Amino acid sequence: MVIIIAIALGLWAGVFASAFVVGMMQEKVESIIRLEMSDFQIHHAEYRDEMDVKMVIENSQQIADDIRKKDGVIGVSERVLANAMINSASKNGGVQVVGIDPAKEAVVSEIDEYLDTGAYFEGMKRNPIYLSKRVAEEYNLRIRSKVVLTVQDVNREISAASFRVVGIFNTNNGPFDEGRVYVRHEDLESLVGTHEAHQIATLLDNHDSAETVATHLAAQHPGLEVLPWLDLATGMRLIIEMTDTYTYYIVGIIMLALLFSIVNTMLMAVLERVRELGMLMAVGMNKIRVFAMILLETVMLALIGGPAGLLLSYLSISYFNHAGIHLATDVYEDLGFASTIYPDLDAGSYLGVSIMVVSMTILAAIYPAMKALKLKPAEAVRKI
Amino acid sequence: MSTNYVIETKGLKKYYQGAVEVHAVDGVDLQIEDDEFTAIVGPSGSGKTTLLNLIGGLDRPTDGEILVNGQDISQLTENQLIDFRLRHIGFVFQSYNLIPVLTAKENTEFIMLMQKTPKAEREARVLSLLEEVGLGDKLNSRPTQLSGGQQQRVAVARALASKPDFVLADEPTANLDSTTAANLLDLMAQLNKEEGVTFIFSTHDQRVIDRARRVITLEDGKIVSDIRQRS
Repeated sequence: MVIIIAIALGLWAGVFASAFVVGMMQEKVESIIRLEMSDFQIHHAEYRDEMDVKMVIENSQQIADDIRKKDGVIGVSERVLANAMINSASKNGGVQVVGIDPAKEAVVSEIDEYLDTGAYFEGMKRNPIYLSKRVAEEYNLRIRSKVVLTVQDVNREISAASFRVVGIFNTNNGPFDEGRVYVRHEDLESLVGTHEAHQIATLLDNHDSAETVATHLAAQHPGLEVLPWLDLATGMRLIIEMTDTYTYYIVGIIMLALLFSIVNTMLMAVLERVRELGMLMAVGMNKIRVFAMILLETVMLALIGGPAGLLLSYLSISYFNHAGIHLATDVYEDLGFASTIYPDLDAGSYLGVSIMVVSMTILAAIYPAMKALKLKPAEAVRKI
Repeated sequence: MSTNYVIETKGLKKYYQGAVEVHAVDGVDLQIEDDEFTAIVGPSGSGKTTLLNLIGGLDRPTDGEILVNGQDISQLTENQLIDFRLRHIGFVFQSYNLIPVLTAKENTEFIMLMQKTPKAEREARVLSLLEEVGLGDKLNSRPTQLSGGQQQRVAVARALASKPDFVLADEPTANLDSTTAANLLDLMAQLNKEEGVTFIFSTHDQRVIDRARRVITLEDGKIVSDIRQRS
């Protein structure tokens, strides 16, 4: 019974740890795609290095329309970008201004869904600005508060305009919310003096195809830089690889603990049955059979404990997949991770961990089985 | 002719090395014929169990030969010896050594399973053996549901299940009360007389000694007397 519980709990711990990390990374990837990057972005070939407002995408409207017609494209948003000084009644500072078509942007990103107070570009005709709660708190802004954005236009001249806060959002993603404000693209275009976009962001129905589509588009537009989200999000590829590695280590450590627990329990089981094993060997059970018997017993225990652990894993993952696991918010939000994790695991991973546990169990049975083989039947049958 | 004997030992020795070399069995020459009902007796440390282990192929001699139906088992490899035990020797242990999770029927049957005996034959033999040892109504009882005497009867049935050339019983009555021991001895004597099963016991028990038809006494690993008596 002890070994069955050990296997069940070991499997549950391994599966749940994997599901937790997978859920955390899914949240992060989803957040990157649906909030920060979209599936891929197009820029002027040097824009990301120079951040110069003059480096626009020529014929951005046409390019965006062409992309919209492609299969698998959910939405395309042309964005005008500018670094600006923001002046409120109480403070001045730097922000990044994103000029968007609110309707198109809402298809590509979820920024409208994170509305905290006010409205998403509704109910205000002139120069509305949509900014994060962090910015609002930092600059002491409320709905309808007035701010002035000062930018350098395409002619290197200083250009300024006043905006009123139409809505405040809160994504719980610290790095994203830090110093980001949205305005309508036509308002920013008139401020910086361009009618072209700096960035075309595209959302696909299949995130996995982002790299393929981006490569294809890059070939079509050699003067532009087309990058999938994995290359846009600095270090994300590394983080995903590191997380995978950490997950393997965590599952590995759990499996190692399980291994020793099974070795210990099976060793006890062998030592408790010395007389029985001695008798079996005395009456003619050969070594292969004794070895196979102990191995088979352990595998049978794994076959009982394994499904129990899988069921426990499935139930707990299903429950927390809906309820979520709430973590200490500040720390994770500051790192750009969601503060609520929804564990998730695909069928293949369940199978993978199950195979690993059964393999571990078989491996764990080898030492006790070898120990049993060393028994001398003449002595073992008389063991008290 | 050695082939006339079920068991024959020639100059059998078993020495244990240590600070002092122990001569557990020291040059035993012994012949046991078919159908014998023999007790090996002697004080503790005289070498009874060691002799039984050597005859049963559970231990290897330091020197000498052990012939079972003319075959020198001391020359067999480990695996050959295991197979030899399975097919030629029945064992009854002092502590019964039944498998606790198996029923009386299963405890008796599993040796035949190892011998790959066909199922129908197994079933028939198990029923007949357990009937013979008086446990026809305890087929599905587990060892914990049986008395000590009943457990030892299952052990006898198990020893006979493989149709061995002879049965070795190491202190079979040591854990039994006098009535139960007497009943067990009656059973073994009956099996010996009616079915020709050869029994060799090691024992301290005077009741067993009295029932034996041949009593071999060991002292310091040597045979000091070999008496045939009427049972």
